Amino acid sequence: MTHDSALAPLLAVRNLTLKHRGESGAATILQDVSLDLHRGEVLGLIGESGAGKSTLGNAILGLLPAEFDRMGGTILFDGEALDAADSRSWGRIRGRRISAIFQDHTASLDPLMAVGPQLEETIRATNDGISRQDARIRAIDLLIRVGIPDAGERYHSYPHQFSGGQRQRVVIAIALAGSPDIIIADEPTSALDATVQKQILNLLRELVDETRVSIVLVTHDMGVVSDITDRVVVMRHGRVVEHGVTSSLLDAPREPYTRSLLAAVPRLRLSDPETRQEAGENPKSPQPQARHELAGTPPILLASGIKKTFHRRSLAWFPKGHGKPALQDVTVALEHGGITGIVGESGSGKSTMGRIIAGLETAGDGTLEIDGTAFDIARSGARNGLLGKVQMIFQDPAVSLNPRMSVGATLQESVRFGTVRPGSERPDVATMMDRLGLARSLLARYPHQLSGGQKQRICIARALLASPRIIVADEPTSALDVSVQAEIVALLRENVTERGIAMLFISHDLALVQQLCSAIYIFKDGKIEDKGPADFIFAHSRNPYTRTLIDARPRRFTH
Amino acid sequence: MRAFWKRPERGRAGFARLVLAAYVLLALAAPAIAPQNPYDPLQIFGWEASSPPGTSSGGGYVYLLGTDGLGRDIISTILYGLRISLVVAVTSTAIAALIGVTIGVSAAYFGRWVDAVLMRIVDLQLSLPTILVALIAIVTLGPGIDRIILAIIIVQWATYARIARGVALSEIGKPYLDAARLLRLPTGRIIFRHILPNSIAPAITLLPIELGHAVALEATLSFLGLGVPIDKPSLGSTVANGFQYLLTGQYWISLFPGLALFGLIASINFVGEDVRRSLDPRSRSHDA
Repeated sequence: MTHDSALAPLLAVRNLTLKHRGESGAATILQDVSLDLHRGEVLGLIGESGAGKSTLGNAILGLLPAEFDRMGGTILFDGEALDAADSRSWGRIRGRRISAIFQDHTASLDPLMAVGPQLEETIRATNDGISRQDARIRAIDLLIRVGIPDAGERYHSYPHQFSGGQRQRVVIAIALAGSPDIIIADEPTSALDATVQKQILNLLRELVDETRVSIVLVTHDMGVVSDITDRVVVMRHGRVVEHGVTSSLLDAPREPYTRSLLAAVPRLRLSDPETRQEAGENPKSPQPQARHELAGTPPILLASGIKKTFHRRSLAWFPKGHGKPALQDVTVALEHGGITGIVGESGSGKSTMGRIIAGLETAGDGTLEIDGTAFDIARSGARNGLLGKVQMIFQDPAVSLNPRMSVGATLQESVRFGTVRPGSERPDVATMMDRLGLARSLLARYPHQLSGGQKQRICIARALLASPRIIVADEPTSALDVSVQAEIVALLRENVTERGIAMLFISHDLALVQQLCSAIYIFKDGKIEDKGPADFIFAHSRNPYTRTLIDARPRRFTH
Repeated sequence: MRAFWKRPERGRAGFARLVLAAYVLLALAAPAIAPQNPYDPLQIFGWEASSPPGTSSGGGYVYLLGTDGLGRDIISTILYGLRISLVVAVTSTAIAALIGVTIGVSAAYFGRWVDAVLMRIVDLQLSLPTILVALIAIVTLGPGIDRIILAIIIVQWATYARIARGVALSEIGKPYLDAARLLRLPTGRIIFRHILPNSIAPAITLLPIELGHAVALEATLSFLGLGVPIDKPSLGSTVANGFQYLLTGQYWISLFPGLALFGLIASINFVGEDVRRSLDPRSRSHDA
């Protein structure tokens, strides 16, 4: 067990090559991958979707499905080849010496078993001969260690009684149950809000420093990497692109791919607008006017005093939990041709606000005016005439296009049924494809034949082709890889503002909102917590919640 | 054939497929290969009624399976009856699926009272025994092949409606339908171009099974004398025709059509199960 960490790594992957036998033939998932993990080290495994980083994590855990063939290479753990291990030796390794934390904290816990006994069960399974009494003491110890408040009292609480962050803490406690040498953490914070993510990452770092456990952190998020890893391995298309000590790799990346990954991460500027360099980048943006006051010129859209509570009704389409109101007296204004941002964490009501403005959801109270025309938003959007005035771009492009309609048919439909502004011609699908950097040959394809970025471009095209004056974009980039994310943001900025369309941009990402928007609303628990011109808010706002959000961001990507 | 022993469900499906194909071919070719046209009184000789299998006929051929109480050749009756059974089953299943899916999707789309009313009708329909619903329908509608088809549709649409509604509900939550609503597409377009094509797959996996049910139901109704007219017998009514002769030892009139019916339903069910399994993505991995 005792190794000189500088000489013999705890875990060594050597020239690992994996092939996957799929329906459409074999594909190489990992090609000649090598990496070292030392004791008490956090190793970041970063890459975009399809990089093979999760496959590598599963390979280390011995959890690869049978369709994977090892073509070459080896995984050495503490000097032993893991690939030679049979199921019995895996039983001694998995959970006891190598354990795992996965992204989905809901699926990682048994919903019908209280968290304490669940943890206790794992402790008894991974520690031979431990008494029930000792296991329980250790379980409570671990819960306290991972920061569950009142661990003793909440021992018999069920997973659904905990928040997402707390559930992930319990999952971490379970991973620690067998006192492992290595934890494989696959996107452990991707399903969590930024402030919670920060806390979980801090916890992982503390555990490493305290117990000398090693962590392989699989992530797509440069911020996560920069926050807690010691060393980082950049992967792309199943190969290692670059590896090195985190700080030097992030400061001076050698490979162009790493550089482009870093460049694509939106950065938050805390300095004054005068020192901004990006301002010259897009002189056409209507920011100078909109920046001064939120309500300077009459807005194109004014939603005031919006209230919304979801009721549980037996015949409703989507019954949601009753009790807490989703929106309480919220007022939002959109400038002509400007981009306004709504920032908030999950459950803040930001998406509900967007859907009310688009006419997809009714509101309990409040008024909505577009260009001076008021709409009765207590009635459904189809009845009050609001539906069709606003187009939307949704978060997940995979479910935003009809899978049974070709791209061409989808876009034609938008032209045919969209609004025609007086004095202007119907927009042309092919021209729009060119504008958005899409090959015209894609028109004959179906959504499943497109990449995520292509699909989102099609969604943007669909929204633009309907010639709306207002577009609501609800987290349009958060399901995409960072490099694609940057392209989509650029496209939105060019195409939306140049057409004089006002856009409401809903996001959880402060930096993205700052890049794109002139005015910002910060939502929390269905209320507006803070608002103002984008640059002012981040540089000068004294609102404590705004400061918390800013602090939750990785420092490296904040200036 | 080795597959038959190694993986029974595979071999069985392969065999059933052959049998079903043979049934369909025989039904299609019936006028060409049947020794006699049982619908043509001129080809039927009343004095040869109830001849046992193997009797030579006045028409110059052998009654391989005998004749029925009216003197009709049993083989010919089976071949022609097969046509009626298949046409009734296929037509009614297809129409029932179309109507059921449309109703289910509409219920999901309109929601509120439309959904409530339609789904309560579905509940009512599914809570009554199939045969009872069919009997009530036939008694109300009167006899005839078209009425039988209608009765089977009335029995079957509800299953499709319930399944399609469930799928449609989950589709309606997806953003592509929000996008469709934001374009203010006409209701018909939203239902038929957007929701229905995406909700139809589970209903299609149900088709082959329901086809088997339809054959059985038609045969049952005909056996009870409520089905197709006596001069154009389907398999079920042929079995019923011979029923009264069973006690006098003239087994062949009922037995052979009964066996033919059994083979038809069994092969449809086996093939249907196989088709359903290959269409259903959830069970595909087990077969791979």
